[in-house]
Amino acid sequence: MSGNTIETTPNGERNDDERSRGRDTMVSIRDLKTYYEGGGLFDNPPVKAVDGVSFDIYRGETLGLVGESGCGKTTLGRTLIQLEEATGGEVLFDDTDITSLTGDQLYEWRRNAQMVFQDPDSSLNDRMTIGEIVREPLDVHDWKTPRERRNRVKKLLDQVGLAAEHYFRYPHQFSGGQRQRIGIARTLALNPEFIVLDEPVSALDVSVQAEIINLLEELQDELDLTYLFIAHDLSVVRHICDRVAVMYLGNIMEIGPTEELFNDPANPYTHALLSAIPRPDPTQRRDRITLHGTPPNPRYPPSGCPFSTRCPARIRPEAYEALDDDVWDGINALREILRERMRATRSVRERIRERFDMETRFATMDETYEELFGGLDVPPEAEEVLQRVADIAGDHDERRALDALDEEFGSICDGVDPDGSDEEIDPEYYTVGENDRKSYCHRHDDGFREPAPVLDDRH
Amino acid sequence: MSSRQTNVEETYEDEENDELFVDLIRKNPRPALIWLAGVAILVLLEIGRAFAGLGQLIGIVSYLAGGLAGVPGYVGGNVAGVAGGIVGSITTAITAVVMLLLVSIPFAGRVPDRAVDVLGLDLTRYQRRWTKRSVLALVLAGGAALFALSPVGGVTALVSSGVDSLASSLPALTSRETIPNQGYRAPDGGWEGTFMGLSPAIAWAIRLTLVFLYAMVCLVWGWKGFEIYRTHYRQADWTPADDTIRRFKGNYWGLFGLAIVLLFVVLALWAPAVSPVQAEHNIYQPNAHDFQYLTDDGEVESTTHVFANLDSRSDGQGTVSPMSYDTYDRWAPLGTTARGQDMMTHLSYGARTSLIIGITAIGLGALIAVVLSLLAAYYKGITDIATVMASDTIQAIPALLLIMLLSVIFQESNHPIAQPLDGGFLLALIFALAYWPGMWRAIRGPSLQVAEQEWVDAAKSYGQTPLRTMRKHMAPYIAGYILIYASLLIGGVIISTAALTFLGLGINPPTPEWGRLIDGGQSYVATSSWHVATIPGIAIVLVVVAFNALGDAIRDAIDPEADVEESEAATAGGGA
Ligand code: SF4
Repeated sequence: MSGNTIETTPNGERNDDERSRGRDTMVSIRDLKTYYEGGGLFDNPPVKAVDGVSFDIYRGETLGLVGESGCGKTTLGRTLIQLEEATGGEVLFDDTDITSLTGDQLYEWRRNAQMVFQDPDSSLNDRMTIGEIVREPLDVHDWKTPRERRNRVKKLLDQVGLAAEHYFRYPHQFSGGQRQRIGIARTLALNPEFIVLDEPVSALDVSVQAEIINLLEELQDELDLTYLFIAHDLSVVRHICDRVAVMYLGNIMEIGPTEELFNDPANPYTHALLSAIPRPDPTQRRDRITLHGTPPNPRYPPSGCPFSTRCPARIRPEAYEALDDDVWDGINALREILRERMRATRSVRERIRERFDMETRFATMDETYEELFGGLDVPPEAEEVLQRVADIAGDHDERRALDALDEEFGSICDGVDPDGSDEEIDPEYYTVGENDRKSYCHRHDDGFREPAPVLDDRH
Repeated sequence: MSSRQTNVEETYEDEENDELFVDLIRKNPRPALIWLAGVAILVLLEIGRAFAGLGQLIGIVSYLAGGLAGVPGYVGGNVAGVAGGIVGSITTAITAVVMLLLVSIPFAGRVPDRAVDVLGLDLTRYQRRWTKRSVLALVLAGGAALFALSPVGGVTALVSSGVDSLASSLPALTSRETIPNQGYRAPDGGWEGTFMGLSPAIAWAIRLTLVFLYAMVCLVWGWKGFEIYRTHYRQADWTPADDTIRRFKGNYWGLFGLAIVLLFVVLALWAPAVSPVQAEHNIYQPNAHDFQYLTDDGEVESTTHVFANLDSRSDGQGTVSPMSYDTYDRWAPLGTTARGQDMMTHLSYGARTSLIIGITAIGLGALIAVVLSLLAAYYKGITDIATVMASDTIQAIPALLLIMLLSVIFQESNHPIAQPLDGGFLLALIFALAYWPGMWRAIRGPSLQVAEQEWVDAAKSYGQTPLRTMRKHMAPYIAGYILIYASLLIGGVIISTAALTFLGLGINPPTPEWGRLIDGGQSYVATSSWHVATIPGIAIVLVVVAFNALGDAIRDAIDPEADVEESEAATAGGGA
């Protein structure tokens, strides 16, 4: 193990030093990006599953990672244990950038970070006995003697609430909860410090979920583990996590201590996410915020704030601040449609059909317009702009149509610089609350109103 | 990290460790010993034949080794022809090194650490792995050199000739010497030279019965061995394989297929015992061997098989029907062929030919298919694309056309590869080349699917090597599918071999082959010699159907859903 940089860090001293300052950072993630290359022979843009995230994971904590499915949280978790290769940025694990490790160093490092997988049916090779499954990491790392490995496996089975007699059984003979315990035993085999829990209970019966959660908490205390807990069940997250990171479209929207974040969400997306869970406390009544549409395709994320296409608190240009919410929904939908049309390649046949005014799979711009703004009361000055946009789009110049739309209705949320420069503006992280909570939203800037009152107004 | 390794183990340290297989045997050796004793008796009964088989194995291995050893020189020679002598020699050396490394890679994991530690190098894990491979390759090279350059090579020749002489001198239960069935009618009635003076027909029938009895006992004893292992020595009281076996046992169509396949295999393995006359005498060198018979004048005379065969042809004019003697009092249980050879002999040796070709072709093809599909599924990307292109290229050519083309090219040029089995080995290689894309296609889906399983990710997450991941976590799931497809395809190979031979392209005489029998007899189907084409025809159909039934049964047996469906069907039926 010589030559391993992780090993050579003078752990003890530095730890004490940092602990005296409060928190001891174990993993720090800096501008991490994981893109999946566009498939096939065509030069598709990559899928930006994780699109530049930065945060720290402290030693001994449980950090929750929540978000809708497809937001990139699993990819992020997999990148942290190097199951996916990072496209950019770094993951500092005790000061070693693990994204740059290869070969032997990576192999040695792997024992520090392990993962509990989501689906207990798929995470255990059912042609192997439980003993073989749990032992495999030990075999791979040539841990002590075979006899000691067997004993350790039995000890591990015991530790996760199974019995040593289960050594020679097969996964088929166990229930989902038990299988997850086996998976946890395998994860613990190499004595890792950091464990990524990828929705470890979402595939289990509700009655079993609590047992597994309790087991994970016990193990954390016993073995000084640090967890990254990926989940979409917010109540579980609230129960087990010390801090929570909210993810949307490859970005962390908000990160902070669990209770604070749940009681007083800062980011509009967190508001929306939390409003979906029923509140036990009726005095804290807050209207359910319904989000329109689906998250954008991560191959083509919107410019500016990733949430801008659906954000209920989106910053609007002053001139249109009073515009009806329904009209705004229509405008947002129009923008999405234009973006969609811009990407779609029309086949030759469709072009010809269009030329002769025949029906194509693209509805004509007039129809679209009618559908979006038909029954609405659109003020004349907005109406005029929208009509112009629709006309330009009717000539298949979506690029220009979008520009026209943004010029009139775009705001800093869409990446439009209020000072008029061409540069695209991304939100930045603002510290909110008392305990080092961060939110990724322009609204925390002094020039704008905070999200919460805006949401109250609009809904 | 080392500080974290404490406090977790130590507890079970002094517990009795009796779960290892060897420990279990040591504790309760009786059943194992009884079973082994049975095996010993069975082997002793056929010791002569066992040695004969060993001798043949040595022959095959040394042929293959010789062939492979010739490859670097061949490649180098070709390069030398274009680029000059030195380049040629270098190419030869490089080819040899690459081949040695390729051979050593799958086995290098078994090399003990000590072999590398003696070098005293401070190696990383990857360096260590490659060092092991190189060490193994070196050892192999040394061994090869020893064989080629020193008297050690002579020792192998000695061993193989020793095995051969043992094979002929040691007795065997089913050997022609123990129960002779060839003799001649004595002038005063009765038979001379046969087993206990019985008629050749009865002597042959006894031997045949013994063969099948022996084969059956072997099978039963093998099964018994599995059951002994299961009850006494297997640590797991249940494995997924148990379910598979249970499901297979309930499938009568599959059992029928298995029975016919076994019959076919026994016929092939015991061909020398099953045939009434030695193939060497009757088929390969009929003019070099003679036998005695009683002439019509009541005298015992001697003649060669060549002449006798000429008089015993079943060609529409004359016919030696099944279950009869020919005019020389030779027993022909299945009659004779159009060329007067003994049909039973031809059929059983033909089964051998088909089996060897089938197994070689399908085995090699399946190996290529499995390796490529695993690599493609694990690495995806460019590996996958390359595999797809290779298989598409081959599949773009109609299989039969490709096979015919290659076999004509090699046979016309009299390539040394066309020698073994009179073109049979060549045919097997061509089949492997033509059929692996089909098998690869059949297992591509399952391979990609298993590569997506989380346990493969898990293996990666703790640093398992790709090779082992593929072997332990992916290959077992492909095995069932390849088995299904292989058993379906082996019938196809047997038919294609027969078809090619029928067209005169496959296997040349004298090597016995079923297709040639059909070819020889097809014009007499409407005559009294109808049996010549009919018997091998039925045999082929039976074997192909049996392999298909077996494939179907395996498919049903490995499918765990089958149980669910069954119980669902049962409840549905109960409700109705
Ligand atoms: S930056 Fe704008 S779009 Fe993004 S979350 Fe804040 S208000 Fe919404």
